[in-house]
Amino acid sequence: MTTPILEIQGLSSGYGPVRVLHDLNLTINPGERVGLVGLNGHGKTTLLSTIVGLTGWQDGSILFKGEEIGGRRTHGVGRKTPSIVRRGIALAPQGDAIFPGLSVRENLDSGAYSGVTWRSRKRRRDSVLEVFPPLTKLLGQTAGTLSGGERRMVSVGRALMSDATLYLVDEPSLGLAPKISIGLVAALCEIDIGEGAMIIAEQNLPLLEGRVERVLGMHAGELKLDVGEALGDIPPSAAVSL
Amino acid sequence: MSKSTPLVGRRSWRPKWPVNTDRVFKRRRYFGTKRSVLKLQGQFNPKTLRRELVLTDKKPLFWIAALTILLVLPLGVGNQRFLSLFGIICIYAAINVMWTLIIGTAGLQSFATLATVGVGAYGSAYLSITYGLPWPLMLVAGAGFGALMGWIISLPARRLDGLYYALLTLGLSEFMRNFVTQSDALGGKFNGALFGVAQIVPSDLLTTRAGQSLLYLTAFIALLVILIVFRWVNGGRIGLMLKTAATSKEDESFASAIGVDFQKARTHVFIIASAALGFMGAFYATYIGGTSLQIFSLELLLLMLAMIVIGGLGKAEGALIGTVIVVGITQWFTDWGPWRVVLVGVLALLSVLYTRNGIFGLKAQIQEIRERRQALHRAAITGRYAEYLPQQAPDIHDKSLIVGRVFERTLRDRLKSWIDPDIIKEHELKPMGQHSDHLERMLNYFRKAPIPDKYAVYCVEPFASYRVVALSGLPGVPPRIVDDKTYPSLEEAYHAVFLRRVNDLRAS
Amino acid sequence: MIEVVISAAVLASMYGLVAIGISFTWASIGMLNLAQGFIFTAGGYAAWVFAEFAISAGISGPLLSVGVLTFGMLGSAVAGLAVGSIAFLPLQDRDNFRTRSLIATLAISLIGTQVWLIFFGPQNKPLPPVFGEGRIEFGNAGISYGQLGTIIVASVMLGLVILWMRSSRRGLQMRAMMMNPLGAAVVGVSVRTTGMRVLAISGALTGLSSVLLAQIFFVSPTSGVQPLTVGLIISLAGGLGSIPGTVIAAGLVGLAEAVTARYLQQSLVPFVLFGIVVLILIFRPRGLGGLLEDVRE
Repeated sequence: MTTPILEIQGLSSGYGPVRVLHDLNLTINPGERVGLVGLNGHGKTTLLSTIVGLTGWQDGSILFKGEEIGGRRTHGVGRKTPSIVRRGIALAPQGDAIFPGLSVRENLDSGAYSGVTWRSRKRRRDSVLEVFPPLTKLLGQTAGTLSGGERRMVSVGRALMSDATLYLVDEPSLGLAPKISIGLVAALCEIDIGEGAMIIAEQNLPLLEGRVERVLGMHAGELKLDVGEALGDIPPSAAVSL
Repeated sequence: MSKSTPLVGRRSWRPKWPVNTDRVFKRRRYFGTKRSVLKLQGQFNPKTLRRELVLTDKKPLFWIAALTILLVLPLGVGNQRFLSLFGIICIYAAINVMWTLIIGTAGLQSFATLATVGVGAYGSAYLSITYGLPWPLMLVAGAGFGALMGWIISLPARRLDGLYYALLTLGLSEFMRNFVTQSDALGGKFNGALFGVAQIVPSDLLTTRAGQSLLYLTAFIALLVILIVFRWVNGGRIGLMLKTAATSKEDESFASAIGVDFQKARTHVFIIASAALGFMGAFYATYIGGTSLQIFSLELLLLMLAMIVIGGLGKAEGALIGTVIVVGITQWFTDWGPWRVVLVGVLALLSVLYTRNGIFGLKAQIQEIRERRQALHRAAITGRYAEYLPQQAPDIHDKSLIVGRVFERTLRDRLKSWIDPDIIKEHELKPMGQHSDHLERMLNYFRKAPIPDKYAVYCVEPFASYRVVALSGLPGVPPRIVDDKTYPSLEEAYHAVFLRRVNDLRAS
Repeated sequence: MIEVVISAAVLASMYGLVAIGISFTWASIGMLNLAQGFIFTAGGYAAWVFAEFAISAGISGPLLSVGVLTFGMLGSAVAGLAVGSIAFLPLQDRDNFRTRSLIATLAISLIGTQVWLIFFGPQNKPLPPVFGEGRIEFGNAGISYGQLGTIIVASVMLGLVILWMRSSRRGLQMRAMMMNPLGAAVVGVSVRTTGMRVLAISGALTGLSSVLLAQIFFVSPTSGVQPLTVGLIISLAGGLGSIPGTVIAAGLVGLAEAVTARYLQQSLVPFVLFGIVVLILIFRPRGLGGLLEDVRE
């Protein structure tokens, strides 16, 4: 029995008076690629942000490779994030959290900021370019001038640059044309993660089906193994059968 | 208002007195305005069985008390050092109140206050020395210079963002200082000191106690004038208009959308405040009989800032208290040397680091800390807040909501634990009439459910066909049909409704 | 004519260093450091203490010059860290950070002046000439070693800082934080440590400018006020956060001051400077290079 990469127990979190996640439990083992599916506003992004400590407050335990990175925290948004990230969690946030004034190359390099990865950034950059070949031509361009799909590639590529064991990818397909998003998710699912793990939050279930080991549904801040329920088909209310 | 009157707990004390019901109550108003002198509310006292008047806003009482102390204390003590100390307090307080008007009401982060005061002082002093202007005209000239200065420095304010404007105006004093040092007409040769200005109180009187008391009285009157200007602008139409645009960019767009030209109003307030500052500058010049470069020093500006920060930014009472504290420290303990300014700086730092808005923000802050702590404590000992997180509890003002929700939840939990095949069977056999205790309680719970979406039985054809519907809860809106099943008898329909309700209860 | 240009360049390089410190701090951590005057004097006094000590120990020549420059920069960097630990770290993730830190830095500068007064007294302290004494004459004009040294040292230092920002890992980290603090946190850049680093660096630049300015004026408790106000105005005109904008604005302000002092009147200098900056800001409210703000929003 190996230690799981991520073990979440009784996690609640939210922003100010709003509670988004309710007593959540989740375990992710090495080598797993997990899809997280749910409608807008049901806590997918909040779960990923809570793991790296970016929500308003949180309560409950998050064990990363057996070490506690969660715990009770009521304020100080993002204060612990850098130290959590440096332990080996890479987050590609929702939308474009890229650095608009830096070139694509610098944006990618900034992902390799933590730890010893800075020295091997060239090799890492080459491997990211293998995953996203369109970026090769854009390396010198300023990131602020890229198109939506390209920005998303930079954002995900930046997460891949780091020496992480857990990759969190938030809504890779959001706001992209279907063709581009299929390519992006397919590329994500083909990356060799070795003994690491990856969580992909996604609204679009068909994009993930068959590509990931496990799909979890998320509904109203709670995890459901039943994906259909999370996607909004309220089950027909059958008569009580006891 | 609802926030300040708690539903549970202590209520704040308010002065109240009985009224004579034979006479018609006549509201007193400030002269020339429609504003009432005191905010009074009539109410019936159930204990004394009489009508009474309640003072809803206690602020005027505090103001009257503070100003009376400020007037009586120095005059009563009559010590020369005391009188001059309080004279300076009055002058600085007046300047700070006008600065508060600029920062708080107009919402302009301007550091040009002392520069404006200095322009008024130097301008009127120069006129008085060169052309022999008497002191009443000096005050008018000072106000004129101040208004001009205000108009000039309000020009860039329209284009610039808050902090940019703050930086721009911060340098103004220093520039004025350089200008005065370089210019001969303004006493550059004597390090910027101008003397021989017309004085309010003749200088031969100044050695007597009566003369000094008179001098202090003029300073006090100047402060009163400034406070009236503050009240007039801040509480008037223009101040109200600016309050709509006070806090953020969105508010500004909203204000312009409803037709408030806040930029214009802002400039008006700024010019009025600047004129008042110029007036205070001229008053200062006639008060001490001259001016000096100290007006333009960064140190004095920072001390003034410390005053309003310690008292509470954006509040006239804060400006007053802060001035008393800071001027008290710096002018009374003169033998401490530079340490007293260090002390003032430390006080200002502490109030920035630990309070939300100086002394006058403390009450709300302590209240909030106390509420938060109480809520956490209650959550820890009773589990009463289990429905909510402890972090959430302080944000819910009406605690009865919490109690209600917790009761509902425990009730539901207990009812849920009673659901089993036997109880369903019992209802199926006998939907109406006497039931067992558990079933009776469950039915009672179902019956008191709110009308919207409550299940009901709809009779399609008497004694032959019934359906289950859900009520809309709105008059005129028909119930919606829940499913396509029909029931041949009323009993079966009752049971179908029961099953649905049980199902919902289990899912809740 | 040439002398005007030279004096403009000297003024520009001294004020420019302070302005870049202010601008840099604002752009990366969103704090307006108005204690820059205090940091300025800290560098001057550190250099003076070193010079006193060194002269009594018999050190002279280039070693003394290098020592004075180094200690000036060190002293200011330490003062920058002190300001950061009082006004930046405790306030950093509280609401209304900008206004509060602004007031806090003002309070620090109020305290700072008095602290210098207590420890060093109100007298002016001279620094030894760092670049030696002498002039290079060419044609009908000339330039003193001091002026030449000021221009060269300031430009070299500025160039080094820019180069370091462009190419190194820490520099990348700072630029990333300027553009997107949240994104920076996600890739593992801590705002707090980076912020302190930024404060130390801008402090060091200010300290350098302090030593250079002390070649002309003296070090005194209030000697930081003038550089602070001019530095503020330059950083405003240059657009807070833009290094090229700030350099251009420093050049403009230096030129304006030199020309006014030479052909008009010294007393008009403040008004000319103020007028120029107001004009720039009226036509470009974000300053000459303030595009960064827009990108940030």
